[in-house]
Amino acid sequence: MASVVLSEAEKVYIVHGIQEDLRVDGRGCEDYRCAEVETDVVSNTSGSARVKLGHTDILVGVKAEMGTPKLEKPSEGYLEFFVDCSANATPEFEGRGGDELATEIANTLYRIFNNEGSIDLKSLCINPREHCWVLYVDVLLLECGGNLFDAISIAVKAALFNTRIPKVRVLEDEEGSKEIELSDDPFDCIRLKVDNVPCIITLSKIGYRHVVDATLQEEACSLASLLISVTSRGVVTCMKKVGKGSLDPESIFEMMETGKRVGKVLHTSLQKVLDKEESLGTTRKKVGFLG
Amino acid sequence: MLTSRTFLKRTRSGAVLKVVREHYLRDDIGCGAAPCQLCGERPSGEVAGLEAQPSGAVSSLCPGPHYLLPDTNLLLHQIDILEDPVIRNVIVLQTVLQEVRNRSAPVYKRIKDAIADPEKHFYSFTNEHRRETYIEQEQGENSNDRNDRAIRVAVKWYNEHLKKLKNEENIQVILLTNDRKNKEKAVEEGITAYTCEEYIKSLVANPELVDRLASVSDEGNEIESGRIIFSEHMPLSKLQQGIKSGIYHQGTFRASRDNYLEATVWVHGNAEENREIIIQGLKNLNRAVHEDIVAVELLAKDDWAAPSSVVLQDDGQNEDDIENEEEKENILKTSVSKKMLRPTGRVVGIIKRNWRPFCGILSKSQIKEARRHLFTPADRRIPRIRIETRQASTLEGQKIIVAIDGWPRNSRYPNGHFVKNLGTAGDKETETEVLLLEHDVPHQPFSQAVLSFLPKMPWSITETDMKFREDLRHLCVCSVDPPGCTDIDDALHCRELENGNLEVGVHIADVSHFIRPGNALDEESAKRGTTVYLCAKVNVVFMDISCLMGLFFCTCNGDVLFLCEQNEGLTISTILPCHASLTYAEAQMRIDSAGMSDDITTSLRGLNKLAKILKKRRIDNGALTLSSPEVRFNMDSETHDPIDLQTKELKETNSMVEEFMLLANISVAQKIYEEFPEHALLRKHPAPPPSNYDILVKASKSKNLEIKTDSAKALADSLDSAECPTFPYLNTLLRILATRCMMQAVYFCSGMDTDFHHYALASPIYTHFTSPIRRYADIIVHRLLAVTIGSDCTYPELTDKHKLADLCKNLNYRHKMAQYAQRASVAFHTQLFFKTKGVMHEEAYILFVRKNAIVVLIPKYGLEGTVFFEEKDKPKPSLTYNDEIPSLTVEDTTFCTFDTVKVNIVLDASNIQHQKIRMALVEPKVKFR
Repeated sequence: MASVVLSEAEKVYIVHGIQEDLRVDGRGCEDYRCAEVETDVVSNTSGSARVKLGHTDILVGVKAEMGTPKLEKPSEGYLEFFVDCSANATPEFEGRGGDELATEIANTLYRIFNNEGSIDLKSLCINPREHCWVLYVDVLLLECGGNLFDAISIAVKAALFNTRIPKVRVLEDEEGSKEIELSDDPFDCIRLKVDNVPCIITLSKIGYRHVVDATLQEEACSLASLLISVTSRGVVTCMKKVGKGSLDPESIFEMMETGKRVGKVLHTSLQKVLDKEESLGTTRKKVGFLG
Repeated sequence: MLTSRTFLKRTRSGAVLKVVREHYLRDDIGCGAAPCQLCGERPSGEVAGLEAQPSGAVSSLCPGPHYLLPDTNLLLHQIDILEDPVIRNVIVLQTVLQEVRNRSAPVYKRIKDAIADPEKHFYSFTNEHRRETYIEQEQGENSNDRNDRAIRVAVKWYNEHLKKLKNEENIQVILLTNDRKNKEKAVEEGITAYTCEEYIKSLVANPELVDRLASVSDEGNEIESGRIIFSEHMPLSKLQQGIKSGIYHQGTFRASRDNYLEATVWVHGNAEENREIIIQGLKNLNRAVHEDIVAVELLAKDDWAAPSSVVLQDDGQNEDDIENEEEKENILKTSVSKKMLRPTGRVVGIIKRNWRPFCGILSKSQIKEARRHLFTPADRRIPRIRIETRQASTLEGQKIIVAIDGWPRNSRYPNGHFVKNLGTAGDKETETEVLLLEHDVPHQPFSQAVLSFLPKMPWSITETDMKFREDLRHLCVCSVDPPGCTDIDDALHCRELENGNLEVGVHIADVSHFIRPGNALDEESAKRGTTVYLCAKVNVVFMDISCLMGLFFCTCNGDVLFLCEQNEGLTISTILPCHASLTYAEAQMRIDSAGMSDDITTSLRGLNKLAKILKKRRIDNGALTLSSPEVRFNMDSETHDPIDLQTKELKETNSMVEEFMLLANISVAQKIYEEFPEHALLRKHPAPPPSNYDILVKASKSKNLEIKTDSAKALADSLDSAECPTFPYLNTLLRILATRCMMQAVYFCSGMDTDFHHYALASPIYTHFTSPIRRYADIIVHRLLAVTIGSDCTYPELTDKHKLADLCKNLNYRHKMAQYAQRASVAFHTQLFFKTKGVMHEEAYILFVRKNAIVVLIPKYGLEGTVFFEEKDKPKPSLTYNDEIPSLTVEDTTFCTFDTVKVNIVLDASNIQHQKIRMALVEPKVKFR
């Protein structure tokens, strides 16, 4: 993963500051950096979002394509994740440098999003065993400024919210052969319910305390962090420890509590922003990549 | 300003694609009105645009100056009206134009031509790119609604825009639409809108336009009147499902020329599945018209029928003679042996109509003052068409063009409208025009763009020309052509080499040097494909240019193919002059007269000697010598009326030139195939299926001769030996029949086919190379050859086998049509000839025997005709048809194939619609019992 090299003195400075609930950029331990969210930034996708969290910059595109349901789940659609660690983000990603991280992120995303609990996969089914929608979620890392997972999960949720899947009708004739008909009206489409879509909260253990939304410098000071996915109602759906250090059970419990608390706030403020953007409709001026 | 258009579409594999296109909106797109100062200067060279004082027809509905703005459906259906010179100042919106383009390519082309015509003052306004007139599709609106709205927005914008002009008189824009809802909405929004009918009827000064209104009325109110004759067509989606599941068969509908109640459908599919389905009876034909793509349902095996050999012509005057029809249909169902039964079906739906404007004559209704009349197309495979016109009396006896608009279920005939008057029927010019139109021969004059690519005269050889060519101007080369030939493109030479061998050169004009790939001239030639030679009117088609080019080559430049006698093929592009151009007769005279011994004569003798060797070798290989009756008209030089007929006479020199051309073609085919195994343009002549020969074998059996048809060689040999001492013409007759058994030779691309064999020439490979002035195929072959010998470079289309295959398809079609047109032209001139002759008695031979008629050939005129035994108002003779021999017994007289009969020939002018040559039997006399 992208990292910075810090001197011992700098590390001590950061650790001691956190001890006092005072982080280098002036935040408290449970504060997020200022986040920017914009949806519908890539016009040829079914849904897209761009999230900037401090220096972390993520672009997510969702493409809906028709496919066949998986054998074990004949009446459900499914999601496919692909993460691209662009060498723009950091020179380390050049060549195949980003592959390992990309696979790790993709695997995490599968675990968190690709289940009936997060997204109503049944609504993606067109006709059982034959046709379903497959959502290809492409994640592009544009810049790494710490706390990748949280930023990615916010972007995925925003992109899923923005996704519009064209409505199709299955026509069946007497012989039983099926014909799929596409609606003539481009506004006639399915929206996904994102109420239960979780977000990832990464809690980094620094010194004796833990912080959310760690910057690159802070991540360099942390030996272990806990990744938890929380829904808008504060339910933890998934948990994962990353980093080479170890965590004692008590602090894990403490971190989960913080995660739930922060997660709820994060979901509410994200939803608010998304709804506001939605309400602007076509009058909204797109910022895109030029702003 | 930039915006993007997003739309969803389904790909063929079933995936749903979201497509996003960038779309630029501009403020500087002109309105096209001449007096408009707001839109700035229009760039020069643009089409005329709309007039300041709109001229054109005066409308009683809208007396002020106005422009017209039609919507899509109106444009599609009423293009005939819009093309009238009276209709001017029409704004064609981009929205409309694009929709038209998607829905009908021919209409699109016609409207484009109208826009390009400066006299018409049509203006195409790109409303989709003007900021004020661009709209986005709204929620709950389908794309049709959106386009209608875009049209209304554009009309509104125009009206406001034109108001700003400092004109004394305000110009109005009128929306023309036949869509009731759209019209209502337009009126609500304050736009003046009329239906096409309203507007055209208001043009008081031009009542004739009303005739040309396409009759597209609502389906709903038509059903009420009259009884329903036909069953309903199934909707397309149902048909497609049916075809997928195999219940229905998709195919091309081909009406029978001889019997209006019968048709065959060629089922599309794999070669082995390719089969014919017979359709019999009016109801089963179910409103399909020749060349339509239809869906057919097979009938139960018990209802299968055999192709009838009855000749039936639709001559009912009345529409209510459906009972009569049924009686006629029963004639078809004569008892036949079980094995003759073929798959029979009925048309359940039309997949694609292939209606085009049809030439023909009006059959005036007998009721006075009636406005509905029947129109009889020249092509017998097309049903008669009902049209509405007030000018019936002026149109009577004229050849006119009529377009079909629709065929309601309760109507015996399709409905159509009058399009154009070509001229008096029987008139030479009119008939030639009809001929060309009917055979889809493009014969418009060449456009300026095309002409601009002609080589400039005077032309001289340049340095660069010299670089890639060998100078052969020292050789003694001569051309041998028919008298009066202006497009000389081939020449020969022959000289003795030091080792005693003879060197022969076949020199072909290098047209490809002048027609460069991709330019307008090239595209036009590719489209036209071949020259069509009609009697009297000299070649109208491929090239007026061909004459020009021909003159040009006499003095200039040629591509030369060398062939040494020992077959060491060698090709070089060269430059050469023509030392002598001879006619066949002159050349023959030189060869024959012993006194002459100049260079040219010796050269000719050498050629003649070699040609005989070549011919013998070819015949030994099994090449067929076929025969078809060919005639030449001697024209009156002033009136161009035929004054005499003569059958073509072949001299030895004809055959000499032909031999060398064949040899050149074969060698070139080998050469280009070697170099381009995938992209060579070749010509093949497939072997006919054995069943094709049935008629020949049966007929010869009746004369105690055996014709073997297992191979071309066997056929050639048995034809040669089939002589009858008492009947010398029999051999020619057999050859004529054999010709009828053959398949069509076709062009094809070597990469797309595996069978290259040329059956009639008995050559494993063949192409057309020697007449680049007359045929486009030769030009492509020239280009391929030029690349092979390194004198020219290749270009992408040349090595694209799919493009080449498409080109072959067009060339084959044009070629076929050209042949038909030529035949029809000969037939017409034969009529003209007999017009002056009166009744004649001639000896004839029976070519085919039909159920109720015999087809005879009069060798003296190369004329073929049908002799019927049933005549109106006379007692019907008893007819017995024997399929095995085949023979027809009329009362006591039996007719077999090849029998000699005497017929009298009369030009039947009683029916101006179809003047035809009528033949009646004189000898043997059929006696009634």
